[in-house]
Amino acid sequence: MKDLQTTIPAVLRLDGLEKRFGAAEAVSDLSLELPAGSMTVLLGAAGAGKTTTLKMIAGLEPPDAGRIEIAGLDLTEAEPKDRNVAMIFDNLALYPNLTGYGNIAYPLRVARQAPEVVDRKVRQLAQVLKIGHVLERLPKTMSGGERQRVALGRALVRDPALFLLDEPLSSLDAMLRIELRAELRRLQREAGHSFFLATPDFSEALAVADTVVLLRAGRVVQVDAPQRLYDYPADMEAARFVGAPQINLVPARFAAEGLELAGQRFACPGFRAPRAAAFTLGIRPEAISAVPAGTGMIDATVTDLEPLGHLIALSAATAAGEMRLTGPAERFAAHAEGDAIGLVFDGPALLAFDTATERLLTARP
Amino acid sequence: MMQNRPLTPLLALVLAAALAVTLFPVFWVVMTSLKPPTDWNAAPAIWVPSEPTLANFRTLFDPSALEAYGLSGVSQPATPAILGSLLAAVLATLLSIAIGLASAIGLSRYAKLSKWTPLVILSGRMFPPAAIAVPFVIMFSAVNLIDSYAGLIAIYVAVTLPFSTWMLKSFVDDLPREIEQAAMLDGRSRLMAHLLVTIPLIKGGVFATTMFIFILNWSEFMFALVLSYTSVTTIPVQLAKYVTATAGTLYGVQAALAVLAMLPLILAGYAIQGHLARGMTFGAVKR
Repeated sequence: MKDLQTTIPAVLRLDGLEKRFGAAEAVSDLSLELPAGSMTVLLGAAGAGKTTTLKMIAGLEPPDAGRIEIAGLDLTEAEPKDRNVAMIFDNLALYPNLTGYGNIAYPLRVARQAPEVVDRKVRQLAQVLKIGHVLERLPKTMSGGERQRVALGRALVRDPALFLLDEPLSSLDAMLRIELRAELRRLQREAGHSFFLATPDFSEALAVADTVVLLRAGRVVQVDAPQRLYDYPADMEAARFVGAPQINLVPARFAAEGLELAGQRFACPGFRAPRAAAFTLGIRPEAISAVPAGTGMIDATVTDLEPLGHLIALSAATAAGEMRLTGPAERFAAHAEGDAIGLVFDGPALLAFDTATERLLTARP
Repeated sequence: MMQNRPLTPLLALVLAAALAVTLFPVFWVVMTSLKPPTDWNAAPAIWVPSEPTLANFRTLFDPSALEAYGLSGVSQPATPAILGSLLAAVLATLLSIAIGLASAIGLSRYAKLSKWTPLVILSGRMFPPAAIAVPFVIMFSAVNLIDSYAGLIAIYVAVTLPFSTWMLKSFVDDLPREIEQAAMLDGRSRLMAHLLVTIPLIKGGVFATTMFIFILNWSEFMFALVLSYTSVTTIPVQLAKYVTATAGTLYGVQAALAVLAMLPLILAGYAIQGHLARGMTFGAVKR
């Protein structure tokens, strides 16, 4: 990743960006580089500062401090129109008085392009986005998915240096969201666009991102490829935020045999022990398997079974506290509430966190 | 949106009562404007003129028209007052709306408002007009604005600006700012985005506010009275002048001028009625 970022020119460089609203710090000391032609996802809970960050990049909110460089130019003070960025807002912000055609054509008409050029570009794009049938209609008569595509068309028609997408799929139902995010990804890849997409949904981030920027309370917590973010979250909160059902976090100690959980010592092959006697152990639900009682690393009692379709989420009470594990439906189907089982942990997948600072202790390969 | 409810007898009765209360004064003024002088003060009251006449209306333009009924003493025609009212009310309304739009957008989009801002903006309206009329006379005579349309328009703008600002701000507040921000990213400057996107999209609110401000200016009496002597006059001031030493108040002539004064409002209201339904909710309806 480091090598990639030095060879591909940065389309966006943020340096020490700050923004406060009254006493509240919305964004603090945000520094970031986005490689051109990639999909970077800004992942964060509501109120983490995602929209503020995107609006500062677009020039719609003046930053209190810091520098914004787009395609090599310092545009910190520039007007939005001079930044060569397009933005898709979470409420889409279509012009309610213009048809689908008028919305998509708007940036071209402002730029005084010839009518036949405008017409060709709009119709071409409408075909790609499959919205030919809404070109003559007003936004209020369109479905959520159609509006979303028109907003996308209005951004794509300009071919800007950078696209900012603020929760662009949040207003859609789950099915359409998954369909459209794959389409977004395909459009971005095929044309080599630079996308900076904000979302509170970790699964969306993992699904589309080349790089994920994890934002919390206005600060960057971690910048990583999606799989690495999942495998090596920077701290306990990041581990909880990324992944569902949530990661299990239990107090643990280092023991000669391997691990000690709630006084029980056992060997755990593959576990990369941290340089600490006591720590918090992070166990992803899929890194636990259920075995017959007495044969596992620790004993447990089934307290709840939650079918997730192809998986079942099983809750189990152990001496170290409640744990959740997921596994194939057919394997867990035989269990019932109250069953005594044993749990086996997948050693290489276990994470160790510093109990006080909550930082990840496990070394990254 | 209001739904059409079936008209129950009770609802019909309530509506009829409300209509009667609202429309009776209008009916009375229109009838009086057509009455000959003998009917004006008749007891018991005459509802429908015995011999309808346009003499009252003629008097507005020809002060001697009532002499046929033996009434004299009307000194001047109403024409200067009508023209004066049109000039002052139209210009003051346009200025108030233009400045109000600029400040509404500024307050809604760019200002950090404190909880005192509404109070500060509306504070100019918290004194009775009579309390500030005299200071204005003193100030205006110092700068030679007494008895001038410039002075009258200036004070109308000052007095209505808090209303236009605050009403228009509520409409701007209701418009998602992302729409004009999209225009800014699509190549419009900040100013052009507001002129070409924000303002057209709150058109209904602008019409409703314009109507409201125009009514305020059109019917204003106090400032027009104390700030005018000879070269400036308006309809409300002229209405007060239809009193003669011999015949007392000329109710018919007053009614005729009042009917003329109503016409522009009715025409304007009719022209923009499509926008009023939503505009008159003062931006309370979310889209």
